[in-house]
Amino acid sequence: MMRRTPLIRLAIILLIAVSSLAQAGGELRFCLRSEPKTFNPLLVADDASETIRYLTGGVLIRVNRLTQAAEPELATSWKLSKDGRSITFTLRDKAFFSDGTPFTAEDVATTVRQMMDPQLHSPTGDAFRSGTGDVAVQVLAPNRVTITFPAGVAGLDRQFDQVAIMSAKSPKKEMAVLGPFYVADYKAGSYVLLRRNPNYWKKDTNGRQLPYLDGIRLDIQSNRDIEALRFRRGEIDLINSIDAEYYDRIGEASPALVRDAGPSLDSEQMWFNQVEKAPIPGYRIAWFRSRNFRRAVSEAINRDDLARVAFSSHAKPAMGPVSPANKIWFNAKLKPIAYNTASALQRLQKDGFRLDKGVLRDKDGHQVEFSIVTNSGNKYRERMATMIQQDLGKIGMKVNVVTLDFPSLIERMTESFNYEAALLGLTNVDLDPNAQMTVWLSSGDNHQWNPRQKSPETSWEAEIDRLMREQASAVDFPVRKAAFDRVQEIVADQAPFIYLVNKNALSAISTALQGEVPVVLRPQTYWNIERLTLKAEIAKTRQ
Amino acid sequence: MLITVLVGAFLTATLIRLAPGFDADVQQLDSRLSHETVEAWRAERAQNSNIVRFYFRYLGAALHGDFGQSQTLNRPVRQLIAERLPVTARLVGWGVLLGWTLALVLAFSVSLIRWVGFRWIAVVCAGALLCIPSAVLALAFVILRAPAFLAIALVVFPKIFSITRSFLEKSYELPHIVTARAKGISELRVLLWHVLPVSGGQLIALAGVSVSLALGASIPVEALCGIAGLGQLAWQAALGRDLPLLVTLTVVVTVVTLAANMTSDIVNESLKPRAA
Repeated sequence: MMRRTPLIRLAIILLIAVSSLAQAGGELRFCLRSEPKTFNPLLVADDASETIRYLTGGVLIRVNRLTQAAEPELATSWKLSKDGRSITFTLRDKAFFSDGTPFTAEDVATTVRQMMDPQLHSPTGDAFRSGTGDVAVQVLAPNRVTITFPAGVAGLDRQFDQVAIMSAKSPKKEMAVLGPFYVADYKAGSYVLLRRNPNYWKKDTNGRQLPYLDGIRLDIQSNRDIEALRFRRGEIDLINSIDAEYYDRIGEASPALVRDAGPSLDSEQMWFNQVEKAPIPGYRIAWFRSRNFRRAVSEAINRDDLARVAFSSHAKPAMGPVSPANKIWFNAKLKPIAYNTASALQRLQKDGFRLDKGVLRDKDGHQVEFSIVTNSGNKYRERMATMIQQDLGKIGMKVNVVTLDFPSLIERMTESFNYEAALLGLTNVDLDPNAQMTVWLSSGDNHQWNPRQKSPETSWEAEIDRLMREQASAVDFPVRKAAFDRVQEIVADQAPFIYLVNKNALSAISTALQGEVPVVLRPQTYWNIERLTLKAEIAKTRQ
Repeated sequence: MLITVLVGAFLTATLIRLAPGFDADVQQLDSRLSHETVEAWRAERAQNSNIVRFYFRYLGAALHGDFGQSQTLNRPVRQLIAERLPVTARLVGWGVLLGWTLALVLAFSVSLIRWVGFRWIAVVCAGALLCIPSAVLALAFVILRAPAFLAIALVVFPKIFSITRSFLEKSYELPHIVTARAKGISELRVLLWHVLPVSGGQLIALAGVSVSLALGASIPVEALCGIAGLGQLAWQAALGRDLPLLVTLTVVVTVVTLAANMTSDIVNESLKPRAA
């Protein structure tokens, strides 16, 4: 059993205290930054749809965003088979969908069958695809069901956090939900209105039915300036993830309105294009394929300055592929990458590079010059790119910064490979390394520095492939942890991704909202939505 | 009109197809997705990569009222247009009406009140508004919590005012109007009986142009003010390289613009004096 830290204990006490004092009612308001593409929980792939799935979907197991432990929800208990292929759930009795349809094991079976249907291409189902063959679902009793996968799925139980159970019988199909709210109204481009699910199964310690709120109004607002403006006016109650600049601006006026939960799971990183057939000069690809070159660049970047200047100190220098916020998978042996231009130059000299009147040249006399592409409109990345340009200038490298809109950038990164270095962020939703298989396997689509390799082109990539497969097929956590720790060490040593910073999880929360405990995992501010309340005077105005 | 619509739609489709990142989707970078899912998305996008084939397939389906499925919003294009057209029609309608009213009132006032100071104030105000991008106006109205159609009105107003004032000034220089004023006929009577009949035709022709002007302004205004109209849709579609949606929007905007211009022409023609 996981030991609870004093901070977590305090948060839990606060939650219970707020629960006992809770005033029910009122409508919470915040913004979605894009249109939800689907209300079908199995087809969710975008942030807006994921928000709605979290607020409306009932799951068998929920990963507690505060403790990071898996907790029972619609499943009162579960049992994993020794080979990690099967899981048997015992389900909660007397639970009903929002339209009154009873919840049974048949609903779980139908949801899993749909999710694993290869024709559906369910992004949720992708996390469970472990091998060739069909998934067998056996309903043992109205409240017991066993799911057997063709091969072992690492971290199988935690993956069910993303699986919102759909009704097998309700005529409302995916609109009948088991979560705390249901979708009551949707006006494309304007808002999504959620109302309290009258049949929600969960109760607080006093026996009062959850959630406390009457509803949630999600306004669709892609412009972050206007979102911040509306928050300052009190038109919305929270901004789940806010940029450092807005955080400071709101915080200057009212410090009580902003929260910094510390480093998040997300990282900002740069990498060099190592694709052999890329339409860039061969000698440059040779630089990018050199470990010494990549490590030298990594050491020549002042990460403390990036965090301090680009993110106004709301970020921490990154150490490796996993943020320290991921309490389960972070490799504590990794050390911060020291800013050291002398060491960087020494590494470069080992590969025949030399400084010639302040200009770095390779052994054939080519001046070291390359471009970093990043997405336009992201001022933090633009700032970081400029600072990296200055840092690398100190070791004689000439760096050009190129900003492109996202579709153009993706096309270059995934199709034409017409770029030299890229600076982007990685958004981590899942704690488990299995969610990053396509990043680490050399055959993966998201193995950005050299994707879709037929066979690993380097020995260290072959080793990463082996370790990732090992951790994915192992059932025992220590075996998995050891394998993924080693992956992190290889990545830190080879620097295919040069990790720069882990941004802090920043949010803005109105004082009208009570019971909030911002955390680093998504959704940072409303992970405990069923226990959030509005102050009575505000709730009255929003019935 | 039909040829203009067809050519406009084809040109739009070609430009989008040739734009970098046409078949890219940001979700491709989601590491949780399997290779099969990413390939399925790619295959879906690739269906539209042959632009000639796409266009003829699109036209064939459009004849049956099917404008395809939006790639970015995952909904039928027809449904999206039907939901949002009334919103933009209201916004543009009120904006054009108010813009014209302001422009005409000010232009006529400048003609009637023949004080140089007043004319200069009006010209400077209109000139200043001409220099402000519609996106900035939209942002200002968000901050002021004012209705968004005011931003459209302020985009339409300075252009209509400048052209109207120019028409009126030229009309006042016509010999029969100079003579009428020299005879001491009141300024209001000169304006209503002599100047307006001369300038009216040109002003009506301008009405069609103002509609396309307002439609163009509706894109930044709706995008910034969070109004779920065609302008916001066009913005989202352009960012997502949403071919079926953008082509349909081009058709809609072309039809509306042509219809507005044709209506102006018809009204103009019908008001022209006929030979007995």
